[in-house]
Amino acid sequence: MIGLLGKSRLLRRRKPKQSAVKLDKRSLHALAALLLLSQLPHLLHLPIWVSALGVSIIGLKLLAHYSPSTAINFLLTPVSLIVIAVSGAILVRTHYGYFLGRDPCVAFLFILVSAKFAELKRPAESTLLLCLAGFLLMTQYFYSQSILSALITLPAVLALGNALAVIRDSTNAPKTKQNLRMVGKLLLQGAPLAALLFVVFPRLPGPLWSLPDDATAKTGLSDSMSPGSIGSLSLSDEVAFRVEFKGSPPPPDQRYWRGPVLNEFDGFNWSASTNPTRIQVSGSQRPNSLEYTVMMQPNHQRWLFALDYPTSVPMSDTVDEADSRIMARITADLQLKSSKPITQVVRYKQSSSLSDKFKPPIRPEPIQTQLAGQNPKTMAFAAQMRAQAGSDRQYIENLLRHFNQENFHYTLQPSLLGNSPVDEFLFNTREGFCEHYASAFVVLLRAAAIPARVVTGYLGGEMNGNYMIVRQSDAHAWAEAFIDGHWVRYDPTGAVAPARVDTSMAAALGDGEPIPMMARSGNGWLKRFKLSMDEMNHDWQRLVVNFNNESQNRIWQKLGFPKLQLWQITILVLIISAIWCFAVLGMPLRRASGKTPADRMWNRYVRTLGRLGIQRETTETPNQLINRAAESLPKSSLIKSVGDDLVKLRFHRPDSATNAALNASIKRGLTKLYMHSLMNRAG
Amino acid sequence: MFQPVSDADFGRYLTLQRPDQLRLMNNTAQTLPVKAFGNVSQVFEQLESILLGKRDQLELAMACMLAKGHLLIEDVPGTGKTTLAQALGVSMGLDWKRVQFTSDLLPADVVGVSVFNSHSQSFDFRPGPVFTSVLLADEINRAPPKAQSALLEAMEERQVSVDGNTHPLPDEFFVIATQNPVEQLGAFPLPESQLDRFLVGLALGYPDPATERALMEDGDKRSLIANLEPVGSVQQLRQWSEEANAVHVSESLYDYILALLLRSRENGNGLSSRAGLNLVRLCKALAYINQRDHVLPDDVLRAFPAMAGHRLTGRVSTGQAAAMDILNTVPAP
Repeated sequence: MIGLLGKSRLLRRRKPKQSAVKLDKRSLHALAALLLLSQLPHLLHLPIWVSALGVSIIGLKLLAHYSPSTAINFLLTPVSLIVIAVSGAILVRTHYGYFLGRDPCVAFLFILVSAKFAELKRPAESTLLLCLAGFLLMTQYFYSQSILSALITLPAVLALGNALAVIRDSTNAPKTKQNLRMVGKLLLQGAPLAALLFVVFPRLPGPLWSLPDDATAKTGLSDSMSPGSIGSLSLSDEVAFRVEFKGSPPPPDQRYWRGPVLNEFDGFNWSASTNPTRIQVSGSQRPNSLEYTVMMQPNHQRWLFALDYPTSVPMSDTVDEADSRIMARITADLQLKSSKPITQVVRYKQSSSLSDKFKPPIRPEPIQTQLAGQNPKTMAFAAQMRAQAGSDRQYIENLLRHFNQENFHYTLQPSLLGNSPVDEFLFNTREGFCEHYASAFVVLLRAAAIPARVVTGYLGGEMNGNYMIVRQSDAHAWAEAFIDGHWVRYDPTGAVAPARVDTSMAAALGDGEPIPMMARSGNGWLKRFKLSMDEMNHDWQRLVVNFNNESQNRIWQKLGFPKLQLWQITILVLIISAIWCFAVLGMPLRRASGKTPADRMWNRYVRTLGRLGIQRETTETPNQLINRAAESLPKSSLIKSVGDDLVKLRFHRPDSATNAALNASIKRGLTKLYMHSLMNRAG
Repeated sequence: MFQPVSDADFGRYLTLQRPDQLRLMNNTAQTLPVKAFGNVSQVFEQLESILLGKRDQLELAMACMLAKGHLLIEDVPGTGKTTLAQALGVSMGLDWKRVQFTSDLLPADVVGVSVFNSHSQSFDFRPGPVFTSVLLADEINRAPPKAQSALLEAMEERQVSVDGNTHPLPDEFFVIATQNPVEQLGAFPLPESQLDRFLVGLALGYPDPATERALMEDGDKRSLIANLEPVGSVQQLRQWSEEANAVHVSESLYDYILALLLRSRENGNGLSSRAGLNLVRLCKALAYINQRDHVLPDDVLRAFPAMAGHRLTGRVSTGQAAAMDILNTVPAP
């Protein structure tokens, strides 16, 4: 009972005391700077209203500190902040249409961190805010893991260190500049350890977490195609994947990267079979075979890409063949289909046989001759052409010649098509992009009862250094027809615009087309710069982001170590860390025992004089040396003044004000003297 | 490591008794403003007019006095030892006495003697020449060890015990002992432990020819001493001494001094801790005399042979060479 009473009294007494400690200006500034810098990387991808809300709450808090008004104070009461946070959550939900996903959650966190800052009253709470800011900072790696995104977090990390130092004891904290220097030093001292742990620390095979899919995140080719879908894709110069070839890359007109194969046609849209037949591929070597490694950007779809025609299943790129995983199955129409959507950068080994035809393991299915929609003119045209040709092969050749010789136009901005799109395209508008040609071509083939289908993928790729970049703007669609027991590739776009196949889309398109910057021909400095940036990022991705337990094994193997056990690695890391810590911590200790900064500057002075030809005798006192040097060397007044300042600094009664000035002038003088000694040597 | 507190005279610290001494100790612990540089140079002007061309030795002697140490001068007769002691005492306004040490000198001749007073039926203490401010102990190594040690005890403890009674010596008690080079006949060399009690060992040496010629022209300086006016006073001496003790010594110089001590001990017969304390005080006093409030390495370089010479080999002349050897092997800061 007494204990309870005592406790309650204690509580009562403590409460006003706690609220009495107010957050001071210095801590407020440090925290505001930290938050703004942590929010900075997110401004690139968050909706504008989220960014504005988050930043303005911080502004309000600062405003309330400087010119408090009742309105602002009302906005910053805990109740109104809760209202803001809840309405923020609701707005985020309505904006994205769902809540549990990367984008809405990060947006909500963004608002919440600001609200927490606005609500902050006591210094003790700021620790929580530091953690939140750190967390917010980490979430930006959900979006990008490039070098740039690592660099953009650096100011925030420095601000974090500064805020830590400030809130620990805000009244006695050193100046921000000193804090930043200290944090920088700490970071540099920690960097080798971080690097060591990065290399040595055992990795989980696979990603640490997998993000819930965001509906909007799908990019690239999809499992259906309608007129205009690839055209819009061509407007993006985003990278689809990068390829490293074992040997020389294929010629431009052989760079058909096979993606989704579209069999079903509803008169307007092409779509892929929902459940394609899987096949086994034999590992036997084929002519014209090519091996390469693809590093694919996440497209949140289930396709992997391979050059026409893939001869193997894609295997994850590992050191040890035994560790390699099968990344995707191969289907009867030679699609590479993964069981899970590709949500992170993947690296796989692939081999292909460069050929425009292959013998399928199964007979063509009936769906590959089905037609839908109302295209009577097309049907009549096909029947007439087929009758003239005499053979399927001749028919196809005639069709291609027709595309080539008639007035067809290759453009990214075709006229819109109505209810019978193929008729309108073939006989009226006669302008379109690859999907129009591929679609019309396959319809013409099917009209003549030839099994045919649309294949989508990428055509092209640009070599950048030792690897090839394939961009979304290289997206393409072509046709495959079943002739004489083989599926044969036909590219009607090539018949209309041969340059699309031989060189690039930009070369094939006329002036005034909205070609994305990186897909344009020419070699402007911006493009060159972007390409070299891409090369750097490629290496970064390959060496750092994709550093996994396989790369680790590779390093152990190269160093000639057997694969270490977990406990062995732990001991190794502990030993090396301990040595490093002793080295780092011992440095200032050793300095404290022997050399002060003034003594170090004096040693520098003595070395510089030595370089100028005046060697110090062991017993020579500073004044003797200074006088001797000033007598026998040019620049005597400089030597004398720097020396005298050093003597003052080292032996006079210490006085912080004059010592600071002395320090500065000595440093300047030493630099001058050093430059002089260099000139002297050069002269 | 040296503690700054131990700047206080080692011997004084041990015999600390009286309240006024306590006050002195407390005062020295504080940082004193240095303001009396000017007066010191006046003393030097006067001393230099008596002892021509001996500025270096004069400074060391004066520094020794400010550091509350005792001075040992080793040289052949007739080089101005007595003149120096006399001039120093008179210029500072201190009373001074002289004892000529001979082979038949008894301790009572130095410290004094108890005489039976038939009126009071008790022993009265009749103070010896040691009860003075500046005592010139001439040719100390000609006296037998017993007489030597009587003086040396007085030097160390600044008090004299006769027949069980303790008689304190004046606050300002400064012994200038002279000794002949030991090769001369009839000399009792001082043991190392006793040499350690002299802060500074000096060799006056012959003056350079020009000075010596000027000396001849001007005639004997002793008559001049009789006419000297004191330019200093006991109070001033105290003040200077306190101020000198407050001179700043940088960390690197403490390290340097320690390194010198350690090096001296490497070959056996090394310097004592008292020698280290003395050296610090001597350096401070030298810096003070040169009108600085901080010690420079140059002070150490000058003070070290003077402090260490007689302690290392028992003789100033050979010891200073040994001290130079030590200096030459320890890098200056």
